[in-house]
Amino acid sequence: MEEEIVIASSSIDGGIGCWDLQTGTENLRYKSCASPPHGLTSVGRRFLASSQLQDAKAASGAILYWSWSRPQVEVKCFPEEPIKPLVANSEGTYLVGGGLSGNIYFWEVATGRLLKKWRAHYRAVTCLVFTDDDSLLVSGSEDGSVRVWPLLMIFDDHQMEQASQLYEHSFQEHTLRVTDIVTGYGGGNAIIISASEDRTCKVWSLSKGILLRNIVFPSIIDSITLDPGEHVFYAGGRDGKIHIGALSADSSSIKSHWLHIIGSLSSHSKTVTCLAYSTNGNVLLSGSEDGMIRVWDPKTHNMVRVFRHAKGPVSNIHVLKRPAYLNPRMLSNVQVSSRRHGLSLPPPLSKYINTMDEKVVGAVVNLQATCNNPLDASCTSSQVISCQIKELQQQGSAAAAEMEVEKLKLDSTQAMQMLQRWKKMYDNLHEFCVDELLEGDHVKSAN
Amino acid sequence: MAKSKGSSKKQQKRGIDFKKIKRKMGRKLPPPKNTTNTEIKSKAIVLPEQSVASEKAGLAVSKKGLTLKELLQHTSHHNAKVRKDALMGMKDLFLKYPEELKLHRYAVIEKLRERISDDDKTVRENLYQLLKSVIFPVIFYKQSKSCLLLDNQGPVISLMMAYIFNAMTHLAIDVRLMAFKFFDLAVQYHPPSFFSYAEKILQNYEDILWKNQFYLEDKGKLKNALAGLVRCLVLLPSSKEVNLLEKNVHEQKILHAFEPDVPIVSAEYSVIIKKLKDIVPVLVNCFQDFLPIVHDSLDAQSFDCMLSILRSIDLAKLLSVFPLCPTHRLSGKDDDRYVILNIAITEIFMHLSEWICPPADLFEKFLAFVEYVLLEKSCSYVRSGKTVREKQISTLIPFIPKLVSRVLGNWKHRLLLAFTKTFQDCSPESSVKLACLAAIEEMIISRKDLLCTDVSDSELFDYQITWIRELPTLLVLLGDKHPSSSQVVLHLLLRLGQHSLLYDEMQCLLKEFYSTYQDEGNICYGPFLRFARDSQELSICCLYYFSQLDSNLLKSIASCCLSHELDSFMLFRIIEVLHSAYKAGHIQISDQISFFITLVSRFKVFPENIFPATESNMKTSNRGTFKSLTNVVCSCLSQMGDNSIVFVILEKVILEQISLKPPLDNSCAMLRMLIALDTKPTRLSERSICSLSDVLSAYLIDVAHCVPEDGDEGAGSIHEQTRCYYLLPCFFLFDRSHKLLNLVLNVMGSSINGSSASLLSGYHIRYAKGNSSRINATVSVLLWMQRDAKVQQILYSFKEEIDHISRSICSLQSSEEINVSNKFITSVEGYGYCGYSISQSINRGELERLHNKVADNCEIRTQERRTALMVNEELP
Repeated sequence: MEEEIVIASSSIDGGIGCWDLQTGTENLRYKSCASPPHGLTSVGRRFLASSQLQDAKAASGAILYWSWSRPQVEVKCFPEEPIKPLVANSEGTYLVGGGLSGNIYFWEVATGRLLKKWRAHYRAVTCLVFTDDDSLLVSGSEDGSVRVWPLLMIFDDHQMEQASQLYEHSFQEHTLRVTDIVTGYGGGNAIIISASEDRTCKVWSLSKGILLRNIVFPSIIDSITLDPGEHVFYAGGRDGKIHIGALSADSSSIKSHWLHIIGSLSSHSKTVTCLAYSTNGNVLLSGSEDGMIRVWDPKTHNMVRVFRHAKGPVSNIHVLKRPAYLNPRMLSNVQVSSRRHGLSLPPPLSKYINTMDEKVVGAVVNLQATCNNPLDASCTSSQVISCQIKELQQQGSAAAAEMEVEKLKLDSTQAMQMLQRWKKMYDNLHEFCVDELLEGDHVKSAN
Repeated sequence: MAKSKGSSKKQQKRGIDFKKIKRKMGRKLPPPKNTTNTEIKSKAIVLPEQSVASEKAGLAVSKKGLTLKELLQHTSHHNAKVRKDALMGMKDLFLKYPEELKLHRYAVIEKLRERISDDDKTVRENLYQLLKSVIFPVIFYKQSKSCLLLDNQGPVISLMMAYIFNAMTHLAIDVRLMAFKFFDLAVQYHPPSFFSYAEKILQNYEDILWKNQFYLEDKGKLKNALAGLVRCLVLLPSSKEVNLLEKNVHEQKILHAFEPDVPIVSAEYSVIIKKLKDIVPVLVNCFQDFLPIVHDSLDAQSFDCMLSILRSIDLAKLLSVFPLCPTHRLSGKDDDRYVILNIAITEIFMHLSEWICPPADLFEKFLAFVEYVLLEKSCSYVRSGKTVREKQISTLIPFIPKLVSRVLGNWKHRLLLAFTKTFQDCSPESSVKLACLAAIEEMIISRKDLLCTDVSDSELFDYQITWIRELPTLLVLLGDKHPSSSQVVLHLLLRLGQHSLLYDEMQCLLKEFYSTYQDEGNICYGPFLRFARDSQELSICCLYYFSQLDSNLLKSIASCCLSHELDSFMLFRIIEVLHSAYKAGHIQISDQISFFITLVSRFKVFPENIFPATESNMKTSNRGTFKSLTNVVCSCLSQMGDNSIVFVILEKVILEQISLKPPLDNSCAMLRMLIALDTKPTRLSERSICSLSDVLSAYLIDVAHCVPEDGDEGAGSIHEQTRCYYLLPCFFLFDRSHKLLNLVLNVMGSSINGSSASLLSGYHIRYAKGNSSRINATVSVLLWMQRDAKVQQILYSFKEEIDHISRSICSLQSSEEINVSNKFITSVEGYGYCGYSISQSINRGELERLHNKVADNCEIRTQERRTALMVNEELP
């Protein structure tokens, strides 16, 4: 089992805390980060990226990058407007940010290009999530709507012109700001749960686009997380409790005042601001207004461990598999190599869509699918790859020669088989002819 | 050899055993002795007359004395009159004995159905009456009532159906038309029957309508037939309903359940719809035939006919009749019927125009008509009942959004103008208003959604503003009498808010919805307070979406919050939503803080007296609500941002409010607000500490007065808890600022003296009036202070002040004859270590007990104090 780490950030400047979930030891603390809720993400587990809280008057936003090995900010990006939620797809090839004006920005990480920007909501975007297969993007907004964007549609200019709207579904039932969204398993067939300031959580079906369940809570829910079996979901409320909502669990036996609420975990005196679930350790993590991160055993409802993060409210918690960079044995190694490589992080995100390089083929780059040998892998864009391909075609290389040999070998075996077959057929024919002749002789002789 | 021997022997035997009897010719054999006599003898009985009464006793008979069986036989009699009489007889019979019908319903129907295609008109007419008035009501009503299986009705209908179809293809046209009437009846009582035979029936309708030579002569019958068609078509669910049906199915499923194998209903309709398409041109044909009549005189029957044709066409929702419309309109007769007809036609046209592109000039004629209707409504159409007109107009309004999005230029303007006028002129509770609201929602929101861009032409935008401005006024006008309409308006407002289309100027209009201040302190509550909870919640949610909430609006909301009529749940919800709005930057910090302070300082806790807290009091009291309100406000304050800045704002306002002598509970809540933001070395400024000392001493004395010391109280008693609740904020403040405690003690001391300096503090005291009670209270406050571990530590450093207090009490005692009970002097002495003698005793028993207690305390205290002093001495 891979070890897991917890990363957490606060909405006041407390840096990004990083702990080992099993042992509880604290790793590096990455400095100067004040992120809004849903504003912290790990990009393909290669580095951390976070949007920053800013003055309301600030003209442009800020997104910062940290590499695992150094506590200082390494890359600073300044998008067009303040970005609140920030999310990367699971491979870490794209970063998506939601703006205050309701726009969604879509960047390619390796080049930093802004690939797409579109008007998604009437008011500020509050949260963004990818489905587990990265095909759909779900966004929630201050105007209470939850919208589902198929990436396929967004990058298909032809279809975009034809369709009257970009989104696949637009769920309007929430009356107030959407605070959190989680997606279940199953890509396009999954369920999503959205929490809102109207004190409800709603369960939607992505495939059918309908409301499956509406659960009213005794207080505003700021964060939700799913149990891995999708039996229940946990909802952290402003009343300091973590409520347990039933999904496929049977809630009929529990005589509760609130429909579909099975129970609650509580010890927080203050608002629960964020939640995360670690499948490996089977524990639930909750961040609170008082800056503590509590680790719960969801079965016994007991607190297992407490991490102290900052004085201000914890705004984000993520549970990640330990990236190789953070491996203590490799740490010195990493520093050496990162020094050798120079800046290992990708260039900053660009502010506007560059119309000049629209001609360039949309880059589809799979950056380091396996994170076990991350030090050798480098970010390559489509241009580099296409160059390499061209080179290969023109000059040929050892690999190409090998392939050629392989192909010739296959050809020869096929030819051999063919030869055998012909031979056999010839034999058969020969035998037949001989038989025929002999028989004819017999008949003649008999006559 | 053996043979011959045998035979001879036989012969011999025969001769011995069987004597041959010889018979004479012509004589019969005598019968054997064991024969049975098979002869049957009978005699005829002749009765001169039949006794009716005796034989039919117990059987149900009609007026003419015929049984059901006989009547059924008569129905197939060759004489038409007999058949008719039989049917009449059956009617009598069943009316008298409904049980009979229930028992023999199949037999009856089986026999009667043959008469559907009877040649004689009167017979058919009678049969129709019989079925309609007697048989069907009994069969269908009784069954549904007694909860028999529903499918029992099916066989009855299917028995008849075959004969109805037969009659529909009868040669005689009368019989045919009548058959449609029968069918109508069947569908009326058993709607599902239509679906099972839909295809056949529509075919039959088509056939009959083709033979249009009969229409003009036989309008009444045609009308009947068409009425049946309309009834059938009404049964066809529109596509919307089908969707709805599917939705319901989904809602009932559990999550993660397997898809149920429900046969999809909508598939069945496809066949029917195909058939409908065939029938439409026929209907159109038929309609054209009527036109000549229309131009001459519009009699009632043909009017009905046309209306039902139109309705059937409309329900089929396909066709092309519109060239006829203008001729109607121009005929100029100021008759309701024309308008109704025209509206119906327009309705159809609108439905159709989605499928086909009509020529422009035609389209324009329709537009003119729509405009005419909309405007005319507002002009003068008193003659036709208002409700009727409204009904008609509200059918037209749903088409406006589509029209507006399609037409261009001048027409768009004219249409919008007409629409706006209608919207403004119709009465708030009418159905037209509702239709208008739906249209507005569609025009503003749905269309915007589709385009997903902010391209909107300025003209439409202007109208939008007009409409939106109208909404708050409408809300106020609606009041609390029409909750459903109000909810629609609120919902629209919310949607607009979500699309950032609410204008901040609307707030002053909306204020009236919550509450308004009349001249002097009188508050006039708007409809908000009287709404149901969900509407209240909707209206609160709307507030979130104003980009800048007005302080005036907040004021009127606050006065709603303070009203006792408001549910406590709603109160907390309002605070929650406003706090969210604040966080999103929609409320200014000063407004938000003053909102909170208004809530806390003006909230009326009843009963005002804290004690005695009886059971009944606990139930009616809203003190619990107020306590949780204080908690909620405190937690909101601590989340507002930089605590030190918030504190500075809060400090001034709270001091102002608290020096106005509010009731104890409110003071306590305000102190709690202060300490929620304060830190250990206090943030209070020097000046506010000074002013707070006056207030606090008065507050403490009041608390002591209102929460009297109970003789034998445990640590967990109600009194103890209550006292703690009121004292704790003070103790926190003392802990954070020792100076404050010092000042408070000073004030207390001087107030006992009754010196002029204490006038101010005396003014602050609200409950404990009179010297004696004040002194009593002061002493108990001191006692409580020394019971609290932290404050006690601080008290040690203020020995002089305590001495001063005790001295002044004593001097007061000697100068005046005040009823100060000795216990306090004792305690003060014990505490102050002064050594004054006990002078008087009023209640000796109590005194002694207390004295002991205090003495015990004193010993410990002295020791502690000595050590403390020693430590103090050593320290410098």
